[in-house]
Amino acid sequence: MTTEDHAMTTEDHIVYIVDDDERIREALSELLESHDIHAIAFASAGDYVGVDKPDVPACLILDVELPDINGLELQRQIAEGDHPPIVFITGHGDIPSSVRAIKRGAVDFLTKPFSDADLMAAIHAAIAQDQANRSERAELGVLRQRYLDLTPRERDVLPLVVSGLLNKQAAAELGIREVTLEIHRRNVMQKMVAASLADLVRIAERLEIPITHSRRAGRS
Amino acid sequence: MMYIWSHRPQFLHLGLFFAAYVLGCGFAQLLAIVPGTGISIWPPSGLFIATLVLASRPSWPWWVAAGCLAELFSNFLWFHSPLPAAFLIYAGNALEAVVGAWLVNLTCRRPVRLESLQEVLAFVVLAAGIAPVASATVGSATLAWFGMQSQTFTAAWPLFWIGDATGVLIVAPLALVVFQNWRDVTQLSKARWLEVCILGLIFLGVATLSLSGYLPFAYIIMPPLLWAAVRFEFKGAAVALILLALITAVFTISGASQFAGDPESLKQKQIMLQLFLAISAFSALIVAAISQQHQMALRTLRQSERQLQRMIDALPVRVWSATSTGQALYFNKRYQDHFRAVIPTFDASQSPRIETLVQELTHPEDAPEVQRTLWNCFATGNASTMRFRWREKDGDYRWAECRVEPRCDEDGAVAEWYGVSLDIDDEVRAQAALRERERELSLLVDMVPVNIGRMAPDGEPTFFSKRTLESIGLDDVAALDKPGMSRVAAMIGATVHPEDGPRMREVLGRALATGEPYTMKYRRRRADGVYRWMEGRAEPLRNQAGTIVQWYVAAMDIDDEVRAQEALRDRERELAQLVDMVPSLLWRLSSEGEPTFFNKRLKNFLGLDIGDAGKPGMIRLAAVIETAVHPDDAAGLTEALNHCFVTGERFFRKYRLRRADGVYRWVEGSAEPLRDEGGRILEWYGLTHDVHDQLLVEEALRRSERQLQQLIDTVPVQMWCVSPSGEPAYINKTMVDYIGLKLEDFDAEGGLPSAIETIVHPDDKAALLGALTHSFSTGEPFELKFRNRRWDGSYRWTEGHADPLRDENGRIIRWYGANVDIHDHVTSQEALLERERFLWQLVETLPAMIDCAAPDGEPVYRSQQLREFLGYDLEELDGTGMTRLAGTLDAGVHPDDVAGVKERYAHSLATGEPYARRHRLRRFDGEYRWVETRAAPMRNAEGAIVQWNVICLDIDSEVRVQEQLRLAQENLARQTQAASLAELSASIAHEVNQPLAAVMANSHACQRWLTADPPNIERAQKTVERVIRDANAAADVVSHIRALFKQSVKTQRTDTALSSVIAEALDLMAEEAGRHRVRINTDVERDLPLLVLDRVQIQQVLVNLMRNGMDAMDSVAGDRVLGVRVRRLGGLVQTEISDRGHGVEFPERIFEPFFTTKGHGMGMGLAICRSIVESHAGRLWVETNKPQGTTFLFTLPITAEAAR
Repeated sequence: MTTEDHAMTTEDHIVYIVDDDERIREALSELLESHDIHAIAFASAGDYVGVDKPDVPACLILDVELPDINGLELQRQIAEGDHPPIVFITGHGDIPSSVRAIKRGAVDFLTKPFSDADLMAAIHAAIAQDQANRSERAELGVLRQRYLDLTPRERDVLPLVVSGLLNKQAAAELGIREVTLEIHRRNVMQKMVAASLADLVRIAERLEIPITHSRRAGRS
Repeated sequence: MMYIWSHRPQFLHLGLFFAAYVLGCGFAQLLAIVPGTGISIWPPSGLFIATLVLASRPSWPWWVAAGCLAELFSNFLWFHSPLPAAFLIYAGNALEAVVGAWLVNLTCRRPVRLESLQEVLAFVVLAAGIAPVASATVGSATLAWFGMQSQTFTAAWPLFWIGDATGVLIVAPLALVVFQNWRDVTQLSKARWLEVCILGLIFLGVATLSLSGYLPFAYIIMPPLLWAAVRFEFKGAAVALILLALITAVFTISGASQFAGDPESLKQKQIMLQLFLAISAFSALIVAAISQQHQMALRTLRQSERQLQRMIDALPVRVWSATSTGQALYFNKRYQDHFRAVIPTFDASQSPRIETLVQELTHPEDAPEVQRTLWNCFATGNASTMRFRWREKDGDYRWAECRVEPRCDEDGAVAEWYGVSLDIDDEVRAQAALRERERELSLLVDMVPVNIGRMAPDGEPTFFSKRTLESIGLDDVAALDKPGMSRVAAMIGATVHPEDGPRMREVLGRALATGEPYTMKYRRRRADGVYRWMEGRAEPLRNQAGTIVQWYVAAMDIDDEVRAQEALRDRERELAQLVDMVPSLLWRLSSEGEPTFFNKRLKNFLGLDIGDAGKPGMIRLAAVIETAVHPDDAAGLTEALNHCFVTGERFFRKYRLRRADGVYRWVEGSAEPLRDEGGRILEWYGLTHDVHDQLLVEEALRRSERQLQQLIDTVPVQMWCVSPSGEPAYINKTMVDYIGLKLEDFDAEGGLPSAIETIVHPDDKAALLGALTHSFSTGEPFELKFRNRRWDGSYRWTEGHADPLRDENGRIIRWYGANVDIHDHVTSQEALLERERFLWQLVETLPAMIDCAAPDGEPVYRSQQLREFLGYDLEELDGTGMTRLAGTLDAGVHPDDVAGVKERYAHSLATGEPYARRHRLRRFDGEYRWVETRAAPMRNAEGAIVQWNVICLDIDSEVRVQEQLRLAQENLARQTQAASLAELSASIAHEVNQPLAAVMANSHACQRWLTADPPNIERAQKTVERVIRDANAAADVVSHIRALFKQSVKTQRTDTALSSVIAEALDLMAEEAGRHRVRINTDVERDLPLLVLDRVQIQQVLVNLMRNGMDAMDSVAGDRVLGVRVRRLGGLVQTEISDRGHGVEFPERIFEPFFTTKGHGMGMGLAICRSIVESHAGRLWVETNKPQGTTFLFTLPITAEAAR
C-alpha cells in the first residue's frame, strides 16, 4: 500500500467555514481563495451539518458563538463520526473553552483578530492530519479484510503465535500435532502478508487481537 | 369637872377664838385715841357674846378661860395694866358676855339667826344695851379702884358702856353670820353680783369721802348702809358695818376723820365716834331684820299659793272663774290643756268670753241651750247646772256637766262666777244603754210571733202584747171592760169559737182554781172574722210565799199545722190509689220475707194473689218464686233475697218472671227496707219493672259498641276526646299504649294543661295550648303539628286534628281528636331541608363564582360571589330588551374577548360540549379582570340537557403573576448577561474584534492577490474596499463605546451651578432639536444651591435624556415639545425631562444594559445615565405622562458641603 501525496491542490481538499458574521465569512473565503484553497462558508451549524460533503481531506473553521448552537456543542455532537479536524475561531476566547476544545481534538483555537500565518498553519496542519487519518483508516481496512479471510483454525492459531508460544506449546494448547500447527502458522503468515513474526505481531497489535497466553504462563 | 371636860370645844376653835380676841384687843388699843383712858370700841365683847350665844352652855367655861388668857396676853402686849386690874376688867367682860348670851338665848329661840325684827330688837336691847352695863360697871370700878390713868368711875363708865355696846353691835352680828354660814356658800346671781359690786363701790366711795372729812358729816353713809341692809339683809348689814368700822378706824387713827381732833375735844369726839358707829349698826340691823321678815312673809305666801294652785290643777275636774259679766278670769290647767288641744288658737292670757269658748267647744246641738243658760245666769245672778257634749281633742264629743255659782260680795252683788265642769260621759252613755235595752225588750215582746198576755190571779187580763191586740182587733185591754161582765168572759165571748168557748171556760176555771199550768187548743176569731186554731198556754208567777202573783199567757197560731195534718191524711189515701195505678209491679214483704202486699198490676201480671200463692209445705215466698220465676233464675233470686234479709242491704236483681200467659219476661226487681227509728227493719218495699224489651235493645247496643270500641282501639291513630272546656274524657288504646299513660293519670293531675305538661315537648306546649284554647273558645277545628312524648320518653312529631261535635242547637258537646305520628316524615323532611340549605350555603359560600343557566344559556341563578363581582342582581337584566345572557356578555366581557366568548359559548350550547375559556370580565368597579369560565351541562335521565352549570374563577392575579414572572425571568437573563464588567468588556471586545478579524483576513487576501503572479488587481481592489468598510465599522464601535464610557474618566467634582450645566446642554442640543423640529421648554427654579457634581458626566446624562426624548417624538405627528424643569424639593434638586412621545413600554427594563427599543443603538445610554446619577447619590427613574409621553426624572442631593 502506497502513502498518499501530501501536496495540496485546489481540488483534492476543502475548507468549511461556519460563522454567523457575514463579513468574517466573506473575508475568510477571500483569503483562502487567494491561497488557492477551496472554501465553503455556512452561517450556522445547522447549515453545515445538513450538507453532503465530498470524500476528500477537509478542515472545519468553526466560530464559537453561533446563532443556533454553540461551536463547542457542535464539536461534541459530531465527535462520534468521521469529521474533519476543527480550527476554532472566537471573538472573545476564554481559557476554559479553548482548553475544552483542544482536549476534544481541535487542531487550534484562534482568537479574533488572528494573523494570516496562524490561520494558514492551522489549516495546513488540519488538512495534513485529515489526510493521515484517512490513510490510516484505509490501511486498517486492508488488514481487517485479511484477518477475515483466515480460517477459524488459523484465527485460533494467530493469538497463540503472536503471544510468543513455541509451536509445540501452541499445538498442545490446541490439541493438534506440531506439524499441523506449523502448516497453519505458515498460512497465517502468508495470508496476513507478514514478512516475519515481528511483522505479524505488529499487525495483530493494530487489529487489537488480544495476547491470551504468555510464554511463561505456558511453561508453568 | 368631867362634865365640863366632855364638852370641850375643838382646840382649833378655841385657838381661833383666842386669836380673834387678841386681834380685837389690838383693834381697841389702836382706836383708843383718848389719851390716858385706854377705853374705846371693844370688839372682843361682840365676839365673846356671839360665841357664847352659839356655843352650848356646858362649854362656856372653856370659852371664858380662853378669853381670859387672850385678854391677859393682850394686856401683857399693849395695856400693861396691873394684873389684878386686868383680871378684874376681864371678869367684867366675861360677866357681860355670859349675861348677854344668857339673856339672848332666853329671849330668842335657838339657833339665833337674827332673822326677825323681834330677835334683832332683843339682841340690841339685851346684848348691846343691858350686858355692857355689867362690864362697864366692873371695868370703871376697877379703873377707879386702881386709879389707872386718873379715871373716875363716872367719867369712865359711859365710855366703857358705849365702847362695849358698839363692839357688840358691830362684831356680834358679823361673828354670828360667819359662824353660822361658815360652810354654806350662798350662790348669787349675776345681777346680784353686779349689785354687790356697785353697792360696794358706792359704799366705799361715800364712806371714804364722808369719813375723811371731805364731806361735813359722817351720817351721809346711812343710805348705802341701809341699801345693803335692805337688799342683802343681815349678811349685807354685818359686812357693811365691819367695813364701816374699819374705814372709820383707819381714818380716825390717821387723823383724817372728823372724829380726830385736838386733845380738848378728844373725849367728845371719841363719844361721837362710838355713837356714830352704834347708831349706824343699830339702824342697819333693824332695817335688815325688817327686810328679812318681809321677805320671809312673801315666801310663805307664795308657797301657800303654789300649793293651792297645784291642788286646783290636780283636781279631776275643770275649774274656771269669770267676772260678773262673763269675762273669763281663770281656767285650771286641766281646762287649759283641753282648750289648747281642741282650739289651736286658744290663749288663756287673753281672757276670752265664756260664751265664745262654749261656742267653740260645745256640740253644735247643745251650744244654743248652753249659751242661753249662761246668759240667763249672768243676767239673773242665779246658780245653774247644764249638761252638754263637749269636743275632745280627737274630735269625739263627751258628755259633761257644768255647775256655775256666783260669789257675792257683802252687798249681795255678784263679784265673780265660779264654774266646775265634770266629765259625765260614762254615766250618760250607761243610762242611754239602759233605755235602749228596755226598749228592745218591749220590742221583743211585741215582735215575737206569739200572742202574749198577763192575767191577774183571778184571771182578769191586765196586759196583751201589741200582736195580741192586733190579732183580736182591740186597741187596749181596757176595751174589754163591759158592764156586768168580767174581762175574761167578754174576751171568750167575743173571740173564741162558740164550739170551743165552754171547754175553754172550764179549763181556765180549773187552772185558776188549782194553780196548775194549762195547755189547750181552740179556735179563735181573728180581727178579720176568720177563726184560726190556736194553742194557748198559761203559767203562774208566784212570789216567795208561793202565792200566785200573775199569770202569763201565750197563745200560738197552730192553724197551719192542723190543716197540714188534714192534708196529710188526704195524701195518704191518694198514695194508696197511686200504688195500684202506677205501671209498675209493687210489692211488700214482711221483715221475715213473707209477701204481704202485691199491687193490682202485679196480681194481674202473675195471675195470682198473695193468698193464692201459698203452697202446702213451703213458705209463701218460696212458693211464689217457684211458681213465677224462671227456673234458671230462681235459685239466684232466692239467695239474693235471703242475703238482703240478713244484711238489710238494698235488693236489686234482674231475672225472668213468668207472665200470666206463661211467657217469661225479663224484669228488674229492686227492694229497700223500711226501718224504724231504732234501725230495725219493719218491712221491705219492692218494685219490679218489665225490662225485657229494653234489655234486648241494650244487648244489641252493647254488641255494636264493643265492635266500635275494638275498631277505635285497633286503628293505628291516637284518638282522644275532651269536654268543651278541655277536660280529657277519653283516649283510645292506641294512645294509651303510645304515651304510656291512662286517662286516670290525667284526671289525677288536673285536666288538659297537666296532660299537655306531661306528654308534649316543652317547646311546643305554649303553641299547643294556644291552638287548643283558640279552638275551644271559637269552635274552629284544631290542627297542629307538635312533638309528643312517647312511652319510652322520646319526643316524636305528631299531627293533631280535632273537630267539635255539636248538638241540635249548635252547642259543642265534645271535641274529638286524632293524633298521627308523623315523626319519620317530619324528620326526613327536615333532613332534606337541611341538606338543601347546606348545598345552597355551599354554593353561596364557595370562593368561586357560580352561575346556572337554562339549556338555552339564559342564566337562572348566580351565586353571591358572582353577584358581588358583577355588582348587580340577575333580575336587573330583565326588561332591557336583551336576553340575560346577551346582556351579561355585552356588559361584562372585555370588548376584545366578547366575540370569541359568544362564539364558543354558542357552540357549546348547540353541541352540549363542555365550555372552557379565559377572558377578561368587567368587575363592578369597572376593572377588567382575567377569569376562567367553565361550563358543563347537567342532563336528566333521558340524557337531555336540563341545565348548564357554570363556574367562573377570578384568575386575574394568577395571570398577572405569570406575566410578572415572565418579566422577572427576562430581567434575570438580561441581568445575567450584563452581570459583570468582565462580561461587558467581553461584549465590547466582541463587537470590535469581529470587524477587526474581517479586516485582517481581507488585508491578507489583498496582499495575496497583489503578490500573486500575475497580481489579481481586481480582487485586491475588492478586498481593500472591504477592509476599509470593516475598519470603519470597528472605528464606529470604538467611538460609540468611547462616547458612552467617557464618564468613567476620573474628573474632579466641584461645586457647580446646575443651571449653568443645563444651559450648556441646551446649547449642545439646540442644533439637534432644530433638526428634529422639537421645541424645548425650560423651567429652572431661581437661586438653586450649588451642587457637588461632575459637570461633564451630568451634561452627558442631560444630553442623553434629551436625545432620547427627541428620538421618542420622531414619529409623533402633533406638537413636539421637550420639557426641562429643575426645582428644589427639600434636600434634593430634581430635574425632569419630559416628552410627548409614545411612552415607554417597559419602564423598568430600559435602564438595563443592552436593552434598546431603537433600531440602532446599543442599549447602554440609560444604564450609564443611571450609574452616573447613582454615583452622585441621586436617583433616576421614569414616569408616564398623561395623556402621552414620558418623563425622566433624576435627583441630586444638596450636600452640606455644597451648601457652604
